[in-house]
Amino acid sequence: MKKYIAPLILVLLVVSLSFSALEAQDAGGGGTLVGAFDVGPGGAPLIRPFMDTAGRTWLSKIWTPLVSWNADATGIEPQLATSWEANEDASSWTFHLREGVLWHDGEAMTADDVKFSLELAFHPEAATQYSSFSQLSAAQFVGGEAYAAGEADAIEGIVVVDDLTVQMDFVNPNPRLPFSLIFAWVLPQHALADLAPADYQTTDWFYTSPIGTGPFMQDEFVQDQFWALVPNPNYWNGAPKLDRLINRYFADETAALLALEGGEIQFTYASADVALRMQDDPNVVLYSGPSGVTNYFIFNQRIPAFQDVRVRQAFLYAIDRQAIAEAIMGGTVELVPCIAALPGMHPAADQLNDYAYDPDKARELLAEAGWDASQEFELVTYYNNQQSLDTMAAAQQYLAEVGINVTPLAVDVPTYNSYFYTGEGWDISYRGVGATLVYPWQFYIEGGFEVTSGETLMGPAFPELEEMMVAAQAETDPDRFIEQLQGICQYQNEQALEGYMWTATRFGVAANTLQDFYWFPAQGGGPYADHAELWSVGS
Amino acid sequence: MFKYLIRRLLFSLPVLLAITIIVFALVELAPGDVVDYFRSPETQMTEESAAQLRARFGLDQPVPVRYLNWLGSVLQGDLGYRFVDGRPVAQVIGQRLGATTLLVGSALVIGIVIGVPLGVFTSLRQYSSWDFFLTGVSFLGISMPAFIAGIFGLYVFAIKLNLFPTGGMRPVDHAPSLFESLHYLALPAFILGLQHIAQYMRYTRFSMLEVIRSDYVTTARAKGLTEQAITWRHVVRNAILPVVTVIGFSIPGLVVGAVFTETIFSWPGMGTLYLDAVRGRDVPLLMGMNLVIAAAVLLVNIATDLAYAVVDPRIRYD
Repeated sequence: MKKYIAPLILVLLVVSLSFSALEAQDAGGGGTLVGAFDVGPGGAPLIRPFMDTAGRTWLSKIWTPLVSWNADATGIEPQLATSWEANEDASSWTFHLREGVLWHDGEAMTADDVKFSLELAFHPEAATQYSSFSQLSAAQFVGGEAYAAGEADAIEGIVVVDDLTVQMDFVNPNPRLPFSLIFAWVLPQHALADLAPADYQTTDWFYTSPIGTGPFMQDEFVQDQFWALVPNPNYWNGAPKLDRLINRYFADETAALLALEGGEIQFTYASADVALRMQDDPNVVLYSGPSGVTNYFIFNQRIPAFQDVRVRQAFLYAIDRQAIAEAIMGGTVELVPCIAALPGMHPAADQLNDYAYDPDKARELLAEAGWDASQEFELVTYYNNQQSLDTMAAAQQYLAEVGINVTPLAVDVPTYNSYFYTGEGWDISYRGVGATLVYPWQFYIEGGFEVTSGETLMGPAFPELEEMMVAAQAETDPDRFIEQLQGICQYQNEQALEGYMWTATRFGVAANTLQDFYWFPAQGGGPYADHAELWSVGS
Repeated sequence: MFKYLIRRLLFSLPVLLAITIIVFALVELAPGDVVDYFRSPETQMTEESAAQLRARFGLDQPVPVRYLNWLGSVLQGDLGYRFVDGRPVAQVIGQRLGATTLLVGSALVIGIVIGVPLGVFTSLRQYSSWDFFLTGVSFLGISMPAFIAGIFGLYVFAIKLNLFPTGGMRPVDHAPSLFESLHYLALPAFILGLQHIAQYMRYTRFSMLEVIRSDYVTTARAKGLTEQAITWRHVVRNAILPVVTVIGFSIPGLVVGAVFTETIFSWPGMGTLYLDAVRGRDVPLLMGMNLVIAAAVLLVNIATDLAYAVVDPRIRYD
């Protein structure tokens, strides 16, 4: 009998350990991941939904929109909406919601929550920035103008058809509506119904007791230090594997990188020069992707000299963009032919001028234009990192060689914007503008071409370009839409309306212990399909 | 003493008022405002919506009106709300003030506890090897900027030797014990205090050497007092007075140094908050912080004067 006791104990031990392991898996079991999710251009600590020009990587762990970007931000994926369809002229859209989605407190998510969230985002007293980055305003909805003016309690054009169906009716066709809804977080009506819209900006509910439908839910928030989440066992895409997900706040990228090196965190954003230095380190994994941001020189065309296409073309011929891209940017940038950062928006190479470095050609064009080489111009930027400052210095040198004299000046963002948006205090500016192929309009709005308050950001209007933009915006056929974008790119390239430079690659660095982890440098942090429910930390 | 204290406090009020006027004017002179800060290539903000936002923040009113509005609120005990995120300024400062006070206070204590005894030690061994060595090290300490010392200290002690955490104020996975809190505090406080160890050591050494050469010290020695009694009873007590002045004046410098140290060590204090406020042209927060810092500096100056009476019985404030 005695000889059976030891194996019996062993079997009991194995069985009990197996049960323990199963229990642990139910509760997570994938360890604790600490990341600096709000370091870098896609991050924005303590941002709240609908104010999120950035910081969406972290927001998407708690809240979920109807749709999100796909993993590499080249298309959209269903989230709380599983499908959607539009009527013939795209002026009415119907969204079908996912069945069985529960809020973190166990309540069911319904179409009422969607209507509530959009109306909160558009409420005049809530003063959110949602319209500014989604390009969707209350006035576009049927009855939305009265709501925005405070004359109606609800937006007539947002209709709850049933618990899982929402219809959105617009005054005009809105062919690319789903892309605007990427930033439309769905918030719980039952938890926020008592919140006065005027208190939206000051409530601490979003940090202290948030309720969402995302993969993680509130654990602990320590102001200015960290925000810890635990898995949402009811997450509609499967319970997350991690035991805890923590966002640690850092004053800058260097501090976060040192914490990564010290093993205290497992992920952070890293600028290109740092990421390149770390690429051979076996302990880390680099994640990278296109920033979707075009860096370019914009001319203040209120100055008559810059209205001459030959001067602008000379500017491009004068700068060896490829040499700067390699020597200063470490080969982490791609030259662009126009304001659009994404290759899909560029026509074939034979339809474009590559403006290869040719200082003689630049001098020739300037001479033809009657260029006065005694003029001095201020070259202003809000970029204060070393690579950008070096780029400005190199450009200054190249331009001086052909007789264009510029003085670089790097200032902070409020100073820059106080100059830039008034058209005064700057002659040429080095800046960046970002957008994606599926929602490219930002390139034209912030790129400087759209007429607002009577003029474009550059000064004069560009009627031919404006006409092309209006036609593209109204285009409902996806292929023809792309063709029109390429036509716009070709026009900008020919006219050298701006000094188009490059689009950069952005990097994230993660410890090699992370499993199934994914990060992409989507603009503003997404939201994109990163499937955080699958992440875990190995040994 | 009490009357003196009240008199000094009353004299401080116009100074404080003048500081707030100057700071408000400087903030106004800086180009751009919070609405310019909000504008980004990712947001489309028309001039109309920018004007609406400015009106919402009261930025459409003349500068004197805005200052008086702010002052009126302060006199009622209300520091206002942050432009950037709408949180109450008093609450935000309150959350950060404790962290900065802890860091700066610890650095000050480290500076005094190490710097002053080292000054005494080297002055009693003038031109010895110890004197040359510690004087040399102190020059290094004085001339090393806080951010260089911070990065160097972080790299060596946190990354390479793994003796301290790389930043933050507490562990993120559990509530900290007292020892853990001290563990997080030690490196940034020492780095911040480093320059002051050197500074206090230099001043103490100089002051001690001045006093050592005094006639009354020679007299004390002639009376047959032991060297220990002469040093501690006569020399140190008289030499410490100018050091107290230096310590008092160095506190604003410590607060400035804390900006860099807090940034490098992700210490959630006033320093990083101040940078955020400047970057965001967050006027209510900037004014609130300057008010608190100016009041603290004025109070420290008064405390320094009062400390004279403690260290030198000849000084009376009646």
